[in-house]
Amino acid sequence: MSALDELVREFGRLPGVGPRTATRLVYHLLRGRREDAHRLAGAIEALLERVRPCSRCGTFAEADLCEVCRDPSRERSLVCVVEGAFEVQSIEKTRRYRGLYHVLGGRLSPLDGVGPDDLAVAALAERIESGQEGIVEVILATSPSVEGEATAVYLEGVLRPLGVRVTRLARGIPVGSDLEYVDGSTLAEALAGRREVRAETPAQAVGADHEDMLLRE
Amino acid sequence: MTLHRLRLQGFRNLEDATLELPAEGVALVGANAQGKSNFLEAIHYLEIFRSCRGTRDTRLIRFGEDFFRLEARIGPGASSVPEPGGDAPRSRSVAAAVQRAGPIKKVTVDGEEPPRIGDALGEMGSVLFTPDDVRLVADGPQERRRFLDIVLSVNAPGYLEALQRYRQVLAQRNAALRDRAPRATVEAWDPLLAGAGARVLRMRAAWVRAGAPTFRSVVEEVSGGERGVLAYQPGVPGGPGAPGNPGTPGSGAFPAVQPDEHEAASIDAPWGDWFAGALREGLEADRRRGTTLIGPHRDEFTMGLEPDGEDPAPKGGRDLREYGSGGQKRTAALALRILEAETVLRRRGRPALLLLDDVFAELDADRSERVLGLLDRTAAGQVVLTAPKDADVRFRHDRLPRWRISGGRIETGGEGG
Ligand SMILES: [Zn+2]
Repeated sequence: MSALDELVREFGRLPGVGPRTATRLVYHLLRGRREDAHRLAGAIEALLERVRPCSRCGTFAEADLCEVCRDPSRERSLVCVVEGAFEVQSIEKTRRYRGLYHVLGGRLSPLDGVGPDDLAVAALAERIESGQEGIVEVILATSPSVEGEATAVYLEGVLRPLGVRVTRLARGIPVGSDLEYVDGSTLAEALAGRREVRAETPAQAVGADHEDMLLRE
Repeated sequence: MTLHRLRLQGFRNLEDATLELPAEGVALVGANAQGKSNFLEAIHYLEIFRSCRGTRDTRLIRFGEDFFRLEARIGPGASSVPEPGGDAPRSRSVAAAVQRAGPIKKVTVDGEEPPRIGDALGEMGSVLFTPDDVRLVADGPQERRRFLDIVLSVNAPGYLEALQRYRQVLAQRNAALRDRAPRATVEAWDPLLAGAGARVLRMRAAWVRAGAPTFRSVVEEVSGGERGVLAYQPGVPGGPGAPGNPGTPGSGAFPAVQPDEHEAASIDAPWGDWFAGALREGLEADRRRGTTLIGPHRDEFTMGLEPDGEDPAPKGGRDLREYGSGGQKRTAALALRILEAETVLRRRGRPALLLLDDVFAELDADRSERVLGLLDRTAAGQVVLTAPKDADVRFRHDRLPRWRISGGRIETGGEGG
């Protein structure tokens, strides 16, 4: 495979990039100044070299601790639990949340072989039990998908016995959507209106194709 | 709704054509394997957007073609009458196309693609009767659940979403059970399963309850005196009416007007509590067996005959699946379809478009005479029926316009009898 085709293939693997866009990007790099392309390559190298998960919360950091965990003005008694580091970034953009985070690294999905041991659940329990941070409240901000809801139910069962207050993001986030697509003000409102977790969830819509449901059981 | 015009392209063995249908309907006459059933399948495809025979979409494309496309012009009243203005329901166009490459499926209503195909279900308001319907009675509970799922998905707002969610949660919970996951990992799915399952249970129960009187009287009329019993047996221990369980919804509970989301959630609540309690009690059994043993995926609804006089038959009547004769089973299946048509009428406020595929073929003379009378009274709307011979078209006193089909080619010039 030619170097050109190889890069087209690599770009094509990125989310939201189809073969046409990938090809256009590669030709753009070839036509442009060589140092621009070198800078891009260097930035990717630096990203991989310098960025690591924060040793406390799991979000991306360039030091042992991330910027949020190092910031002395953040409210240490409040921890917001999210599925991925991307959601941290979404919530940070609202500029309305002043607590800390905990990144699970996914959500429960037995169909995909993902159980509690594959998520940073034990680490979260340890953060609470150690008492070092003085955590009083945990906000469960998992996605409103079926898997995200189940993950929240599971976490509630683990966390409640540890003596912390457990809350869940308020409704208002479109059902079945990922936090990444929710606009900032909706997300800020959902944070403000978070509720105590109760073991009851009304039926909600999911976006699956109706074909599946009519064809098989 | 009345089907005014049907456009066929590349569908099964049917020749491409644009057909104008009379408002009262049409009788399509032709020998077997000429395409009669395919014609009805094409019309009904635009109701449920899949083959009524379970054929995969791409296999509906005629040999050698790249795609099929179906389009219906539907509307109120007779096609010859100009449509009145004002708030009278206007005519609409429903279309579906499937392309072999991809494959790509596209559904439109008035040229617009709905957000989801599920949103376009039920536009035609058609109900299909076929000789195969006997399987609804004779086969296992899965056939009956599938029937109920389609009828409710098309006619009960909110049902399809709840069912999809239920299936998704159930698949996850069963995967956890299969993996012998710890108790807490299984239990994490229970509130979600109970929430979605509650709505499925409640709506199925309401439909059976609302339909039982019609079922009883249809069976009585066609059989000449035997009274049919339609009963719901939820796949959750106990059952509505049993101590501690939610009572069956009131009469007419099948939603002609859908409660809003908040109200619906509170109607679901007792069903959810009941189901959640049963899940808790059954958890250890589920873990031993590695699968979820209770829930609407184990629902059954039974069809029986009311015992006459001293006959000591069990409550719910003698089960037709087990004890019914061929004729009794066919009668019960027909009654289910008439219930379906009644559901469409209640939901849409307009008589269903009846598609009758050679329905008298397997009934004895007495029964088919009475079915004829019943359908003549029930079918206030348009009827499209098929028959192998002219002599078999007795519906509406032989006055339906007659079309012929041969080798997939439809001749519309025929005269009524
Ligand atoms: Zn951190």
